Amino acid sequence: MKILMIEATKYTPMINLDPQKGVFEFKGKSYPENTFDFYSPVIDWIEKYFMSDRSAPTRVNMDIIYFNSSSSKLFFDFFDILDEARKNGYSVEVNWYYDKENESSLEAGEDFKEDFEELTFNLIEK
Amino acid sequence: MDIRQDRLIDELQVFMESDLERFKSLGERIIKDIRRQHKIMEASDKRQRKEYDQLQEKLLEVERLNREIEDTQKEVVFTMGAIGESRSKETGNHVKRVAEYSKILALAAGMSEREADLLKQASPMHDIGKVAIPDDILNKPGKLDESELDVMKQHTKLGYDMLKHSKRPLLKAAATVAYEHHERYDGNGYPRGLKGEEIHIYGRITAIADVFDALGSDRVYKKAWDDERIFELFKNEKGKQFDPHLVDLFFENINELLKVREEYRDLFG
Ligand SMILES: [Fe+2]
Ligand SMILES: [Fe+2]
Repeated sequence: MKILMIEATKYTPMINLDPQKGVFEFKGKSYPENTFDFYSPVIDWIEKYFMSDRSAPTRVNMDIIYFNSSSSKLFFDFFDILDEARKNGYSVEVNWYYDKENESSLEAGEDFKEDFEELTFNLIEK
Repeated sequence: MDIRQDRLIDELQVFMESDLERFKSLGERIIKDIRRQHKIMEASDKRQRKEYDQLQEKLLEVERLNREIEDTQKEVVFTMGAIGESRSKETGNHVKRVAEYSKILALAAGMSEREADLLKQASPMHDIGKVAIPDDILNKPGKLDESELDVMKQHTKLGYDMLKHSKRPLLKAAATVAYEHHERYDGNGYPRGLKGEEIHIYGRITAIADVFDALGSDRVYKKAWDDERIFELFKNEKGKQFDPHLVDLFFENINELLKVREEYRDLFG
C-alpha cells in the first residue's frame, strides 16, 4: 500500500496515512462542505489497510482543533473500524490531542473514549 | 448527512429479508448510533451557544473600539481646529458654530448624512494653517500692509500642505476646506483664484459658514453686525463672493442657522 497524504485546506485537516510506519495522522480543522465525500477515500484506504496482514501496532494521532457535527459522526464511524480491527487482533492505539483552552475538543475526546471502552484511547494535552 | 452513505439504512434493508440474530445486533447498533447522534447534537448545541456568545461579545467590543476611534478622531480634529482659531482673532464657540452651520448647509445642498457629518468635522480646521503664520503679523494691532497680507493669506496653502498627505477622508476634506475657504465664487479669492464650481463644495460651504459666524460675533476689535446688515451682505455677495445656490439655501435655512448661533452663543464675562 502507498502512503495517503492529503494537504490541509481552510476547511479540512492534513491527513497522512503511512502503512509502513503504521501511523495515521490527522491535524487541523474539519468542517468540509461534504464531510462524507471528503473522508470516503480515507475510510476506503483504512478498510483496505486492515484487510492486509500486519503484526506491528497502528498508532492514530488526531490533532483536530475544530470540527463540525458530521465530522464528529464520521470519527465515530472511523473508530468503529479501528475497534473492529482491534477485535480482529490488530494492535491499535488512538492519541487524541487537545488544547486545554479548547473545551469542545476535550469533550469530544472524552465522548469517544467513553464510547470505545476497549480501544486504547489516550487524551493528551498539548 | 447524506442518506446514501448511512450504513444502518443499508443494513436495515438487508434485514428486511433476514433473521432474528441479525435483527438483535442491528437493533443494538441502532440504539448505539442514536445515542451517539444525541451526544453529537448536544455537543454541537453547546458549542453553537458558546460561539454565538463569543461573537456577540466580539461585536460589542468592535463597536466600542469603533466609537473610541471616532470619538478620538473628533476630539483631535476639534482640538486642531481650536488651535487654528486660537491663532486667529476668533473666539469661543466659533469653530463649533462653523461646524454646525456647515452641516446644515451640506444637508440642504443634498449631501448624505454621512458626508454632511464629515464636513461638519472637517470645517473647524479651516484656519489650521495660521499656526504657521508669524506672531508679529498675526497679532499686529492695526491694518496689515500688502506684504503682510500676502503672508497672512498663505494660511490657506499652509493648512492644505499640513493635511494633504493624509489618506483619511476626514483629513482630506479638511485639507480641501483649509485650501479653499477664502476662494470666491467670482474668481477673485485666494490663494488660487478658483472660480464657480472649480471651488470644491466643501470650500464654498465653509466660506459661507465662516463669514456668517465672523460677522455675527462680537470681537475684541469690533461689535457684531446686526442681522439685517449680514443678510444684506449675503444678498449682495450672491454669485460674487458666494455660490448663489448656497446663498439661497442659506436663506431657506436661516431659522435653523440662527438657532445654532443662539445655542452656541459666546458668553462674555
Ligand atoms: Fe481663514
Ligand atoms: Fe474662521
